[in-house]
Amino acid sequence: MGRQQLQRTFYGLVSIGGIIALWVYLTGSGRVTPIILPPPADVLEGAIDIYRGYLSVPWYEHFRASLVVMLTGYFSAIAVGVPIGVAIAWWRPLEVVLSPLLAVLRPIPPPAWIPLAILWFGIGLAGKAFIVFVAAVVPCIMNSYLAIKETPQELLVSARTLGASQRTLLFEVALPSGLPAIMTGLRIALGTSWATIVAAELVVSLAGFGFLIMNGYRNLESQIVMVGMIAVAVIGFLMNWAFLLIERRLVPWRETDD
Amino acid sequence: MMRAAADCGHAAVDLQPPGDCGARAVAGFRVALGSRSIVMTNDLEYENVVMEFRGRGATVRALDTFNFHVAESEFVVVVGPSGCGKSTLLHMTAGLMHPTAGRVMLGGSIITDPGPDKAIVFQNFSLFPWKSVRSNIDFGLRINGMPPAERNELIDRYIKLIGLDGFENHYPRQLSGGMQQRVAIARSFVMRPRVLLMDEPFAALDAQNRQLMQEELVRIWSAQRPTVMFITHSVEEAVFLADRIVVISRRPGRVKKVLDVTAVAGASHWRMDPFEDVIRRPDFQELRAEIWGLVKSEIQLRS
Amino acid sequence: MTDIHATAGAPPVDAADDASRRMPMPSARTLLVTAVILGWLGLWWAAVVHLDVSKDFLPTPYEVAHRILVLAYEPLGAGTLWTHAAASLVRLLSGFAAAVAVGMPLGLLMALIRPVNHMVTPLFELFRYIPPIAWAPFAIFWFGAGNNAQAYVIFTAAFPPILINTFRGVELVDKRLIDAARTLGARAHTIIAEVALPGALPYVMTGLRIGLAGGWMALIAAEIVAGTGSRDGLGYLILQGQQSLAADLTIGAMVLIGIIGTLIDIVLQRVEARTQSWRH
Repeated sequence: MGRQQLQRTFYGLVSIGGIIALWVYLTGSGRVTPIILPPPADVLEGAIDIYRGYLSVPWYEHFRASLVVMLTGYFSAIAVGVPIGVAIAWWRPLEVVLSPLLAVLRPIPPPAWIPLAILWFGIGLAGKAFIVFVAAVVPCIMNSYLAIKETPQELLVSARTLGASQRTLLFEVALPSGLPAIMTGLRIALGTSWATIVAAELVVSLAGFGFLIMNGYRNLESQIVMVGMIAVAVIGFLMNWAFLLIERRLVPWRETDD
Repeated sequence: MMRAAADCGHAAVDLQPPGDCGARAVAGFRVALGSRSIVMTNDLEYENVVMEFRGRGATVRALDTFNFHVAESEFVVVVGPSGCGKSTLLHMTAGLMHPTAGRVMLGGSIITDPGPDKAIVFQNFSLFPWKSVRSNIDFGLRINGMPPAERNELIDRYIKLIGLDGFENHYPRQLSGGMQQRVAIARSFVMRPRVLLMDEPFAALDAQNRQLMQEELVRIWSAQRPTVMFITHSVEEAVFLADRIVVISRRPGRVKKVLDVTAVAGASHWRMDPFEDVIRRPDFQELRAEIWGLVKSEIQLRS
Repeated sequence: MTDIHATAGAPPVDAADDASRRMPMPSARTLLVTAVILGWLGLWWAAVVHLDVSKDFLPTPYEVAHRILVLAYEPLGAGTLWTHAAASLVRLLSGFAAAVAVGMPLGLLMALIRPVNHMVTPLFELFRYIPPIAWAPFAIFWFGAGNNAQAYVIFTAAFPPILINTFRGVELVDKRLIDAARTLGARAHTIIAEVALPGALPYVMTGLRIGLAGGWMALIAAEIVAGTGSRDGLGYLILQGQQSLAADLTIGAMVLIGIIGTLIDIVLQRVEARTQSWRH
């Protein structure tokens, strides 16, 4: 461990330790009510509560429910978004036709889709997955689009002078050249999908981490809310980390890292 | 035309070491066209070429009535101030752009499209970063439909020729600049182009590597002898490599002067000798000074 | 395909500047975009009419436009369309302003003082993975349902990009420039004011743009969850549309949200481009 590293660890421990100490002090001294900030013990209790079946939902149901919604939305977003992004980057007429539509739809926040999601897809899996879909499809489209648009001209020109057809240019030059950027888009979309799970579960739901957060809120059980938040954060972090590992495998030619 | 280039590659694999395909450079380029067979030459003809770009409101003339003829198997180096349209010239020759007026012809027919008979080597190598050395060289052969066995043999030979055996499976980023440029050159030469277009190919290399690469280029080129249009900012490089040097005026680019290097360098040409010996020759230095004087006057006019 | 041809055929580096060549003339471009948008509206309308879709499921563009127009003078909840849009913008700006006020100085300190960086980074990483909407319950516990709670949710969305970009921007300022300023006799405050901050400005502007866009995305979440009791805002319109099963109101509100979001982004991109003009 170098000096730098040592310093970093020291200050890191100081700040995280400080926050925890502050948390213990504020809640222990009775300066803040448990609703404003639940004491650590309460949060642990909340976690145990959930583990034992909070509102008679088995603990693994939350994982299952949230992951199914998220993965359904995420993979539909990839299946739709990446081809669209690539296509509008490659064929100018398609870009002209689709970009105004995308420009209007893009700034509509996912929760704003909730009423239409329910109206069109119902309160089941499809409705919730649709919310995740509209959130995740944006980075899928944008990053694939930029990935293809930013193919170095020299590579395209080199390939053309070597006799490449349009098809070859797309599949053997533009796509491999854009793959790292597309993968980055998929990673961002993964984060977005997971972050949208809370919004998606605003649509009637009976389990999941968004359900926990919202139920904790309605019942004024802030410790349940906090357990839900921590779970969402930890799972989001782990997903990002796992994806980075996969990405490194899939794009071996890339310079070390970003 | 594309097929023709590949065909010559086939013949070379079956019968001869790579150098011998150069025989066609002398004999002309035979293409079977139905039952007839025509003879193609690899000379380049620029006929009253004008190139204009429309900018904001104004139209910029990059090249103005450019007239020049490059003989088959000739090594022509183009020098001139920045912005004189050198690269434009090269891109037109590759078929990537079309002149506003006038004609650019290869072997008597107007150049319309890019293709493997007109190879380009760029300053920044332009290797596919996701392909190994081997796959980079293979790319042009594969997409033009050469069978795998022939391709492998040809690639092996070229990897040896550029001295990169043992590096076949490296990615470009694992190689030095000089090695990357060797791969780019091999990727072009393996297609047996009729013309080789080089856009400041060694500008990104340090002085030592640049010198090595110049000598290496001469070695590979003499084996195949395609017609070469070579752009550079280095007057020294031009004098060392060229049969003839074209000095282009500042924008709009015109032929300012054509200098015959072969007349000074002798029939065997000094580029076959080591660079460090050649630059000490008084006649080399004299020619270099003359060309630098021509280029300098254009740069000074500019400011 | 045509596009690739066009750009590949563009002049190489030593030829004429071609930036303006790529884009059609503004008027032609505007015409084209208008035509395309009209085309989409026509398609939507034709689909609804032709497939005989129920109005509750998907209203026609006419019905949506009509609903918005009526809303422009006929109040719903706290007021007309303008009241709702203004309420949302005020929330957005108050949350955003708070994010700027905290994020920019903190990012600057992190870049200039290493221990601050070492202390803030772990906390930041810890909180970064909590989506803004998940803060809504605590926002209400802390601030009570209302504007402040909603502004806080927006703050959590806008804060991270502003902090990161300020930090990165200052950190990435060429150290040689700082050394050069120092050898010319500049003191710390001069270096910060005349080298570090101007150098970081393009990054900071990007951070502000992303932050405001993030805040906009969180706004509706904030209004839907943390807006209990509010009777204004674009989120309120969406909720009203849902509760009264008026799809035209919901979609109208969504379109408004989309248009205002686009306008905000266009303005910020202009500003951002201006600050980056020296970069090339």
